[in-house]
Amino acid sequence: MTHRERVLTALKHQPPDRVPADLGGTLASTINIHAYRRVMARLGFGEAPPVAYLSRRSNSVLPDERLLSYLDVDCRAVILDNPDANPERELPDGSLFDEWGITWKHLGEGQHFINSDGPYYGVEPDPALVEKFAWPDPLDPGRFRTLRSQAQTQRARTDAAIILVLGVGLVHQIQFMRGYAASLEDLIVAPDFVQAFMEHYADFWVRLTERALQEVGDLVDLAMFGDDLGTQQGPVMSPALYRRLIKPYHARMVQAIKRFEKPVLLHSCGSVAAFIPDLIEVGFDALHPIQVSAKDMESGTLKRQFGRDITFWGGVDTQRVLPLGTPQDVREEVRRRINDLGPGGGYVLGAVHNIQAEVPAENILAMFEAAREFGKY
Amino acid sequence: MDLSALKEAVISGDLKGCTVLTEVAIKAGYPPAKILNEALVPGMEVVGEKFRCNEVYVPEVLVAARAMKKSLAMLKPLLTETGAKPVGVAVAGTVKGDLHDIGKNLVCMMWEGAGFEVVDLGTDVSPEKFVQGVKDSGAQIVGISTLLTTTMLNMRDVIQALERAQLRDKVKVMVGGAPVTQTFASEIGADDYGESAATAVEKAKALLGLA
Repeated sequence: MTHRERVLTALKHQPPDRVPADLGGTLASTINIHAYRRVMARLGFGEAPPVAYLSRRSNSVLPDERLLSYLDVDCRAVILDNPDANPERELPDGSLFDEWGITWKHLGEGQHFINSDGPYYGVEPDPALVEKFAWPDPLDPGRFRTLRSQAQTQRARTDAAIILVLGVGLVHQIQFMRGYAASLEDLIVAPDFVQAFMEHYADFWVRLTERALQEVGDLVDLAMFGDDLGTQQGPVMSPALYRRLIKPYHARMVQAIKRFEKPVLLHSCGSVAAFIPDLIEVGFDALHPIQVSAKDMESGTLKRQFGRDITFWGGVDTQRVLPLGTPQDVREEVRRRINDLGPGGGYVLGAVHNIQAEVPAENILAMFEAAREFGKY
Repeated sequence: MDLSALKEAVISGDLKGCTVLTEVAIKAGYPPAKILNEALVPGMEVVGEKFRCNEVYVPEVLVAARAMKKSLAMLKPLLTETGAKPVGVAVAGTVKGDLHDIGKNLVCMMWEGAGFEVVDLGTDVSPEKFVQGVKDSGAQIVGISTLLTTTMLNMRDVIQALERAQLRDKVKVMVGGAPVTQTFASEIGADDYGESAATAVEKAKALLGLA
């Protein structure tokens, strides 16, 4: 069974030869640069390998092919490039500034950037602002310049499943442009503003996605995007608000991908159990990262409740086990998640979110070794 | 008039209602402390309770807190005039190296809504700034927040800085944030850990012997 077949079989809810594993397949399932350098050095692949960023903002890299082959990972990512107009640039203080007018403040060497200012920060939420906004061009040729050659390279050198990493989802985007708290208040006090934004952004996103899939639809196996709906303790908004203000647009986004007959993976952090029935209805095929440390995200329960209808992707605890546990703890964690989520297919194993800066190389190696050992069907 | 309408306006996050009803209550001669304690505080208590039970979520809490803060801002000058004392004084901040602030903001709102005076030091707060915040405000509670496993340990630096400044026995230290656990809180010598903003008031009151 090829790596691609392993992933596609799991997505069909059939047992492949073993549980597929992901590292570097999406912008939220890869590895921080510090942890990456340590594991590369540990394997003798060089102290300071050249770095290609999968996500500059989370300081996470597109891992070197030697590492992915060594760990026998089943997925590879292809990513959009910077637009030609207003590409992301670094400000004198080390912050990043992007085409949306969002400032990303750097938390420190090797750490994340987080949004600290944007075009809708501190303004009255008026739908007219959305109309007046200088929307970027979804078809800016820069975005797609290397997409096809990336996919061709991956096709030529691996038999892995290739994932098209799409632009950020709409809940994220409005949070980045408006600020987290204000964007959440708007859901209640300014739904007309939220709706106007969602309409425009979904249009932008769908046009961009269609263009990307025209470019590489014949070469990629699935497509993914992220929209966080959970906090550590529960849903970030009520399921009723999700249904009213977000779900119709998620449906449009999923349909755009489905027109190209590709499965869709949604990344959504935190406690998102309350949304899963809606996500299934919208048509998402797989859900990442299954943040098992969040409330109501017990892996066995999720599999029993929803395992027939959605594939779980991730599941290996990033908040405690990977950074703080021993390699033996990591093995136990991997074994537990495979037992809970693996039966009958419908599971792709990976860390819950990017492997963070402080995770020891031994734990990373233990994770993928255990995945191969315990993952056999 | 009856203060229950104002309490309801807080619960439903009705900003205009809160503004109007607070004005009416003040004009009707209610003492500001009574308005605070019989409308705003119980209103936010209900919101906190609903949040804890997943009946409402972060957006509803933020909207309620915004309405409550509007009323509070109208009452504050009057409270100062009448010499009314807050339940307690708390200093809060997101630890050095971290900029995430929603959790910390929710805790501050809950405390304010319970009648605490809150000094919000913001994000990326150094241990020295926490110490200065305690000195300036005479706080009895110090709340430290983090979202990142990488900055968790900086919480210990704050506690050590309070020790060096000989303020540690004058304050109770509460820690919280996604990666924090009770075990970790005990390890670094914090007095309490809150898993959710919904329990922040109860815990702070218990630490001060007010519960």
